[in-house]
Amino acid sequence: MVELKNVSVTYGSTGVEALSDFNLTINDGEFAFVIGRSGAGKSTLIKLLLKELDANSGEVYVNGYSLHKLRKRKVPEFRRTIGVVFQDYRLIDTMTVYENIAFVLRVIDAPTKLIRKRVPYVMSLVGLTDKADCYPSELSGGEQQRCALARALVNEPALLIADEPTGNVDPELAYELVELLQGINACGTTVLMVTHAHEMVRHFGGRIINIDQGEVVFDEVIEGAEAEYLEGIDAEYPAEFDETAVEYTTDPSVLTPETEAASEAPETTAETGGTDN
Amino acid sequence: MKLSSFRYLVKQGFDNVWKNRVMAFASFCVLLVSLLLVGLSVLFYININAIIGEIEQKNEVIIYLNDDVPQSCVDEIDSQLRALPNVNYVEFYSREQAFEDLKKKMADAEELFDSLEDDNPLPDAFRIRVTDISHMKDTVTSASAIPNVDRISSPDTFVKFLTQTRRLVTLVATAIIIAMLVVSMVIISNTTRASVFARRREISIMQSVGATKNFIRFPFFIEGMVNGFLAGAVATLVTWLIYSNLIKTLNNFDMLRTFGLGSILPYEKIAIPVTLAYVLGGALIGAIGSVLSTRVHLKYRAANL
Repeated sequence: MVELKNVSVTYGSTGVEALSDFNLTINDGEFAFVIGRSGAGKSTLIKLLLKELDANSGEVYVNGYSLHKLRKRKVPEFRRTIGVVFQDYRLIDTMTVYENIAFVLRVIDAPTKLIRKRVPYVMSLVGLTDKADCYPSELSGGEQQRCALARALVNEPALLIADEPTGNVDPELAYELVELLQGINACGTTVLMVTHAHEMVRHFGGRIINIDQGEVVFDEVIEGAEAEYLEGIDAEYPAEFDETAVEYTTDPSVLTPETEAASEAPETTAETGGTDN
Repeated sequence: MKLSSFRYLVKQGFDNVWKNRVMAFASFCVLLVSLLLVGLSVLFYININAIIGEIEQKNEVIIYLNDDVPQSCVDEIDSQLRALPNVNYVEFYSREQAFEDLKKKMADAEELFDSLEDDNPLPDAFRIRVTDISHMKDTVTSASAIPNVDRISSPDTFVKFLTQTRRLVTLVATAIIIAMLVVSMVIISNTTRASVFARRREISIMQSVGATKNFIRFPFFIEGMVNGFLAGAVATLVTWLIYSNLIKTLNNFDMLRTFGLGSILPYEKIAIPVTLAYVLGGALIGAIGSVLSTRVHLKYRAANL
């Protein structure tokens, strides 16, 4: 579970208040989209949840850890309970796909037997089996993204945070990734996805948390294309803030949920969910 | 830590040397030059010290006795000299022996000595050597207080020169060694820092997936140690080549005997300590340098990248 109570974060160097009296609760097993303008406080929220940043005031609870009280030496242990897919993937350039994924298990002192079993399984889940020996520089953007996802999943974290994971890939891959995340969520993992891609959020629907000027201004479960709220936000947002949305509008195959590509989505989700068990 | 994890981290350390070969080579070169600078300075100092030591050893103090001292007194003086704290060698030098030596030395004036054969004017004497020539004056004072000692001849000026030279050499050599050590440490620290800086992203990623500081540091430790070990091994080889060729050159020109430098240590005598010092010193400096350089980046937040 993720819980933030009256959290305030002010950046010392600039005096900018990134989060002010911020309250948020995400229950176990939930799937939530976090949206908001650039500078709204999304990145600060992620840093807080990863204990890369300390709040000036308030309480932060993640996966049973009280982050506001957590000792430094306990931070690595805490981070092992979270899987993160970063926007820039953050893969280790000198390690192959296999080694990058296995590294997370090495960190937790997992037995070699388990590593040999688990890593190929996760690679097959994201479709990277034939790229096991490739280095990140030899992968396409989509493959790097899937490798980052595999790394985030390999130790079966209780919480998966995806920080604009679709920012650097084409719309089709973006859809596939969210479907994959939904499959993972179906297996019980809490998923928090930060995104600018409102078209995609509209397509998938679910719990949407909108952050603006360091505060939660909207937090509700809404349904896909009927989401009037998102249309309102889209009107507020200039198109350049939502690059993925611009891409969608140029590609009729993914423009509406009625398209063939989109209608196949639930099947893929079910498949993924099944294999993960 | 499990054995499998330990093996993995050691392997990572070895692999990283190759994977980061450009920076590893830079660190290796810097370590090699630093080890050679310090190593050769130390060897130079040890040899200069040995040469001075040998020259010191050859300096004798001659203690002349009064005329007609009976044998019992000579024995007494012998034991009294041996009991002096700074004396390490005592030899009785009889007036007959002294006369014979003088005759041999001045072979051209043999006739003159023949006429003196029955009336040897030379006194009995003792030759002594001191351990520490800087305290020779005290030894001479103590020896002159022994009964039946007539006078003492000691190389005061030369001793003063030697004492000053040793002091100067020690000072200069220590200064050079310290300077070399400082320069080496600065260069090594900067190179390893640059090497680790290039991999700060890797370190931050490892942190973000929950790796502990020690887990991240260990391969760096191994990497630095391997680098240092290799630099130490090559430094040993280079030192052997330089040292052996230098001795060979000095021998060829007969310089060793000319300048009385027979006490230069042969490489075989110093090979083991030199190899151990280079290899262990290199490995230690490499490992510590790497680990210290990672400290800064372990405080780095992933978000800053």
